[in-house]
Amino acid sequence: MLTIDTFKKMIAAAGEEIKTNEKYFSKLDADAGGDGDHGTAIVTAFKAMESAEGADFKSYVKSLSETLQAAACGSTSTLFGTWLEGMSDGAAEGATELDAAGVAAMFNGGLEEIGFVTKARLGAKTLMDALIPATEAIDAAQGDGIEAMFAKAAEAAETGAEATCQMQAKFGRARNLGERSIGPRDAGASSMACIFATFAKSL
Amino acid sequence: MPMKKFINDPANLTAELLEGLGMCFSNKVKIVNDKIVCRANPKSEDKVAVLTLGGAGHEPALSGFVGEGMLDASVVGDIFAAPGAPKVLEALRMFKRDAGIILVTLNHAGDRMSASKAIRDASKEGIKVVEIVTAEDISAGVDTDPEDKRGLAGCVPLYKILGAAAEQGKSIDEIVEIGERFNKQMATLAVAMTGCTHPQNGEPIAVLADDEMEIGMGQHGEAGGGLSKILTADETASRMIAELIKATEVKSGDSAMLLINGTGATTLMEQLIVYRKAGKILAEQGVSLVNGWCGEMLTVQEMGGFQMILCKLDEDHKELLGAKAATPYWTV
Repeated sequence: MLTIDTFKKMIAAAGEEIKTNEKYFSKLDADAGGDGDHGTAIVTAFKAMESAEGADFKSYVKSLSETLQAAACGSTSTLFGTWLEGMSDGAAEGATELDAAGVAAMFNGGLEEIGFVTKARLGAKTLMDALIPATEAIDAAQGDGIEAMFAKAAEAAETGAEATCQMQAKFGRARNLGERSIGPRDAGASSMACIFATFAKSL
Repeated sequence: MPMKKFINDPANLTAELLEGLGMCFSNKVKIVNDKIVCRANPKSEDKVAVLTLGGAGHEPALSGFVGEGMLDASVVGDIFAAPGAPKVLEALRMFKRDAGIILVTLNHAGDRMSASKAIRDASKEGIKVVEIVTAEDISAGVDTDPEDKRGLAGCVPLYKILGAAAEQGKSIDEIVEIGERFNKQMATLAVAMTGCTHPQNGEPIAVLADDEMEIGMGQHGEAGGGLSKILTADETASRMIAELIKATEVKSGDSAMLLINGTGATTLMEQLIVYRKAGKILAEQGVSLVNGWCGEMLTVQEMGGFQMILCKLDEDHKELLGAKAATPYWTV
């Protein structure tokens, strides 16, 4: 079972790891032709989420989404806010601990909702290149237990993020670089992979 | 090197410029909850509301076109940044009405995402919203998927069409049909000659060599094709209007609107010279020009260059373009 206290620790740990890598994410963003502010944006997002409250999964994750969207601006807050909102929708009412199926339902809900606000899918050089395989890994590994689900998600997210090096950007300002966007890793996929890696480590 | 701009704390640029807009045009607009620019005298609730969203730093766009006969409100982000979805949702809630709301979104990733999220949330609350996306930049090629084309200054004449139709009390379905038809019949091409600086961080944007210009650059001069040595006004206008004629398929006997939008550092003198050449070429081809425009609508700080916009007009478009408008930067 995944308890709400463990999940809160996972979020806090992910926030710390993101802060440590702030400059790295911004540099990736600039290298790929973006605004060069992804590190700043994602750190702002995690700082905002520190004030989130809630005793159960549904209300806590909803609060993560709301605090994030209220504090930050730009694509990162919309994408992460929507992802978290979908996760909240996917979490069982009032649950303070989730079994494997409950965890999968929560992450599946996040992926479904984010798909409504961005048209990016696999291969567009965005955070979806890490999030889609990570969510699918969580869903597929339900029979292996929660630790294995997050371990496989971390692995899938990292593989997905690394694959973005070979991709041409199709969204955001980097898109306008065309073939020149090939080479650097996508910043959004990288921070997403970092989050899943930290989730796996903090279990 | 310090920026040569009359600014205060770079963090307050958007708030301060909106404050100025509200004071200067207090008879036309008012600023609500920091970042929503509304008409000073709202139209009645039985008429469709027309809203838009986008970053600041492009003045007079987008908020300079809020007022009678055009936009009911614009939702403003920070400099060159989309407003967050919650702010857009707040505006949609303010304008909730049975007649419905049309939200005009320029095709840029951040704006599209905030709009999609806000519309999704608004729909859950029973707010009727129809989105019209502008993507009339042809620099990526006329046949490019609209999802891959950018929305440039063509949104401004579209605001005029939609606003006038809403003012007449037409239904949301009728207005969307008229607007989408106009949207499909317009095309924009941009040219940049000098870059600009981001007013918050002083970083140069779209640096070009002293003797170069580039046709086909985007709103912020994002990298594009068409780099060349500097051409004369007539050569530049000829090349651009030829592409726009191809894209819009205007032909002898058609009516069209031609607009030149200066992007910040290009003088009105230059814009008028360019307009004259493009207008002559259209006239030679038997196209009659109506309701032209030359000046700054959507700027990118002190970027040198302009956008040329050609819109093929139907009869109802002509009538709507001629209807009354009283906004800070567009008056008929």
